[in-house]
Formats: sequence, structure tokens, C-alpha cells
Amino acid sequence: MGKYLIRRVVRGLLTVFVSITFTFFLLRLIPADPVSMMIDPKMSAETVAKMTAQFGLDKPVLTQYFVYLGQLLQGNFGMSFKNRDLVTTLLLQKLPWTLLLLGLSVSLALLIGIPVGIRAAKKRNGAFDRAVNVVTMVGISIFIPFLSFSLLYLFGYLLRILPTGGAYTPPPAKGFAFTVDVLRHAVLPTFTLFIGNCTSIILYTRNSMIEVQKEDYIRTAYAKGWDERYVTRRHALKNAMIPTITATGIMISHLMGGAIMTESIYSWPGIGRQIFDAVSTLDYPVLQGAFLFLSATTVVINILTDLVLAWIDPRVKLGGARA
Amino acid sequence: MNQKTFFQAFRRNKLGMAGLVIVLLIIAIGLAAPLLAKYPKGYGRNIEAPPSQANWMGTDNLGLDVMSEIVWGARTSVYVSAMAVLCAAAIGVPLGLVSGYFKGRVGGFIDSVIEIFMTMPMMPLMIVIAAIAGSSVTNVGIVIGILSWPSLARVTRNATLRTSEMPFIEVSRSLGVSKPKILFKHILLNIIGPVMVNLTLVMATAVLSESGLSFLGLGDPNTWSWGLILKKAWDSGALLKTPNPVWWWLWPSVAITLYVVSFNILGNAINDTLNPKTR
Repeated sequence: MGKYLIRRVVRGLLTVFVSITFTFFLLRLIPADPVSMMIDPKMSAETVAKMTAQFGLDKPVLTQYFVYLGQLLQGNFGMSFKNRDLVTTLLLQKLPWTLLLLGLSVSLALLIGIPVGIRAAKKRNGAFDRAVNVVTMVGISIFIPFLSFSLLYLFGYLLRILPTGGAYTPPPAKGFAFTVDVLRHAVLPTFTLFIGNCTSIILYTRNSMIEVQKEDYIRTAYAKGWDERYVTRRHALKNAMIPTITATGIMISHLMGGAIMTESIYSWPGIGRQIFDAVSTLDYPVLQGAFLFLSATTVVINILTDLVLAWIDPRVKLGGARA
Repeated sequence: MNQKTFFQAFRRNKLGMAGLVIVLLIIAIGLAAPLLAKYPKGYGRNIEAPPSQANWMGTDNLGLDVMSEIVWGARTSVYVSAMAVLCAAAIGVPLGLVSGYFKGRVGGFIDSVIEIFMTMPMMPLMIVIAAIAGSSVTNVGIVIGILSWPSLARVTRNATLRTSEMPFIEVSRSLGVSKPKILFKHILLNIIGPVMVNLTLVMATAVLSESGLSFLGLGDPNTWSWGLILKKAWDSGALLKTPNPVWWWLWPSVAITLYVVSFNILGNAINDTLNPKTR
């Protein structure tokens, strides 16, 4: 177990390193000059040169890369080109907002998706299953802006019962009123993300439940005279959950940076919107920091997923060997 | 299953046929766009006019006909998704075949590359690469293709693993048939079903990605696409405006959804026809 963890962490660090390097050189391929985005036409050539030097952009790319790595080792993630904020501060400001949407939408998706998937699998091609099939088909085909537009139009424009953007009404209220205000703002973006997440949870749960039900040990359990509820709960569910858990892990790591469209439409101050803004202003340090953060969270979540799987399924021996 | 029995079985799947018809219709509209509508540019006289005899789907804030924009947008969608599928297939299918056939080190290495790519955050990456590649329609198609090959490679690999164990492959091997011929003729022809299913799904997600990039302003600003119409509607605040030009944002959304749903239904129908027992 300890040895396994060390190996995973080392491999994880390697992955993060590859991703840092990849991102660094990928960003240098953007055929535009970040300095031109920062400067004012009124600035003198001298000031421009000074600024370029301040950000190290006058040095060769390879030198920049090693300077960057050196800074990372000291825990310095760099400074935003745009507003001179520390990248760490900037990302830490956005993180809670992304986590809030992520937490709400994923837990709702699990809460609703798993029972629906199980029920659909029980009577395959039955009325419920066919209805679920239609819903999931629409769910995987939905275009996030379309869903958001419909929700905004209905709740923000026609009914006028929910706010249409931002994470709270400025100036922020205090205490409980603030919580209520934030939650009201979170309803539409959460629902937007929920649809996609719930669809994939339903699909994974349903499909693996169908597979598991074909297994011999399930038939044995029925032969022992146990009823359907007991067999589902005690025997089938644990095994059927394995693909769902893996999918949830991937979903969470994608949502860490993947909610770009949702966050942009609802002006939600999260990581996704930060990434999008950084691309449009060529803010390399912020992008590098964001991608570093994303690859690190992906690695951590992958390890956590494996630990959860090992805990659920005793046959999984950490380290890959199956008993 | 040979071709004839496949088409006979497929024709009985009514939903699948409907999907196929809509897909073909949209492709036809895209190809025939110059015959169907004048390319919308400049300014029109009636601004944000509701649907009428002259403009069946109303007009936008420049007075341009929304239906013409959608017709030309179909052309972009068809072009970009075809481009994406070609790129994805060019990368994913050979890699899947090789990693499935040569199981040892090579296969393991390719498989771990697939694994890494599958866990990468696609949308942020796509945005960065789209910014690098520049915003021509062709580039957008290539970018989407380059980022959608992993699932295709995975499907190809799994199917290849199964097929390469079959006796007829064993026979070809012992007869001395060259490896490329075994891979690209004997195996590929046998796994064309699952590959086709995945390709239709790539077509569907490619349109979602293309519309998303255009919506975020990373598409080609000079070529009409469904995402671009939505971006313009969104930027002008059409959504929360009174009176609300619903037609402006609703029709392009319907077009995107119809295209994606039809391709997904088509993919499912092909899958059901090939493996009647799974659904």
C-alpha cells in the first residue's frame, strides 16, 4: 500500500512535469505578442522594453522555461501579465466558486443519476428504461449555450424569479442573506452542468448494472431465495458502481477547468472563465498556472478514485494485480 | 454481417432511419447553400423583425435573414465535422489498430498515451490550440479532430484485440501475409462496425465543439456558423431584451440540437443493428 502510493505519486509528479512543459511551449506557439496586449499606445519604447524585461520576455524561450521551472520549485507560480496579481492568489480566489458549482452539480447528479440508472437497468427496454433512453439521448446532445439560454429566458426573463448572472448581488450581503443570495445565483449554472453530468451517471450506472446482472453470482444469490432489493443492494450495486466511480472521477477533474462555457454565460467568477479570459489576453503565467493546477488535480483525483475502488472492491489489489 | 443484411436490418429501425434522413438533409442543405440562400452580409432594412413571409425565421440586429445564416451555418457545420472526423480517423484508427495488434510494449505505450489524452481537460486545451491555430474554419476542424481521436483509438484498439485472436487472422499470419495488409485489410474490414459507430458520435461532438468555439469567439468570425449566430445574439443582449427576438437565438440552437441528436440516434441505430442484443 505505502509502496504503491509512493509509485503513484512519483508517476503523478512526472505527469504534472510533462504537462507543465507541454503547456509552456504550447503557449509560446501563439502567434501574437503578449507585450502588445499589456501596453498602452502612449507608452514610450523605453517603458515597453522595461516591461518586457520585467516579465523576462526578452530572453530566449529556453531560458524563460528554466527560469519558470526554478520559480516553480520555490513555490512561485508567477505574476499575471494583465493586472500584476500573483497567479496563486488569482486562482485561489476563483477556486471556491468553481468548487461550489462542481460540488452542487455532481452530488445532485449522483443522487438522482444512480437510482434512475438502476431502475432503468432492472426492466431493460421497459417503459421506464425507454423514457430514460430518450432523456439521456437529449442529455448527451444538448448544447450548453442552448440550455443556458432557455433557462435564462424562462427564469430570468419571462418569470423574473432568478438572477441572470454573477455569483452574488453587489455589494455582497452579510451572513445568511449572503448564502441565500449565492445559492439563488447558483441555481441556473448548477442545473446547466447537472444535465450533462446526470446523463453520463445514468448511462454508466445503467449499462454496468445490466452487465452485472448477467453474472453467475447474481443468479446464485437469487437461487438462495433472496429478493430483488437485497440482491441489488448487497450484491449487484457494489460491482456495478465501479464504472460510475471512475466516470465521476474523470467528470470532476474535467469540471475543475471545463465549465468554461457555463461560467462565461452566467458570468460566474470561476476557474473556467479565468482560463478563457487569460486566453483572450494572452496571459501566459495565468494559463500556465491554471493548467498546472488542472493536471495536478487530475492526478490527485485519479489516485483518490483508485483508492475508493480498492476500498469498494476487495479484489482490486492496489498496484494493479487482481486476486 | 454482410452489407445486404445490415441494410435490411437497419431499415427496420424507424428511429435510426429518421436520424439518417435528417442527417442527409442537413448535409444536402449545407452542400447546396449557395443555391438555397444569398450569403448574408451588409445590412438589411428590417432590424430584429419577427418571422414573416419574407424572412421565415426573422432577422437579426443588422436586419439579416436568420434562415439564410442558418443555411450557410449548416455548410460550416458539415465541413468542420467532416474535417474533424477525417483527422480523428487518420490518427485514431491506425494507432488503435497498432496498439491492439502488437500487444507488448508498443501496444502498452500507445494505450497509456490514449489514457493520458482521455483524462486531459478538452475544452481548455481546445481553446488554447484554437487560439494558436488561428480562426479559419479548416483549422477549427483540424483542432477538434486532433483532440477527439482518443475515444476512437480506444474503440479501435478494443475491437482489434478481439479480432486479432480470431482463427482467420492466425491463418493469414501463417500464410505470410504482410502486417500492414493484415491490419488495414483483414482486421479493419472486420471492425468497421464499431469504428463507424464511434465516427458518427465524433461527428456529433465535433459540431458541439465547433459551435462552442464559435460561441466563445474562437471560430472564424467571417464565416457563418450556428455558434457564431448565437454569439452575435448573446453579445447584443438579445436574450434578456424586450421585445425579445426569440427567433434569433432559438432557431440556430434548434439546428445544432437537431444535427447532434440525429447523429447520435444514427450511431445508436447502427450499433443496435450490429449487436441486436445490447442496448
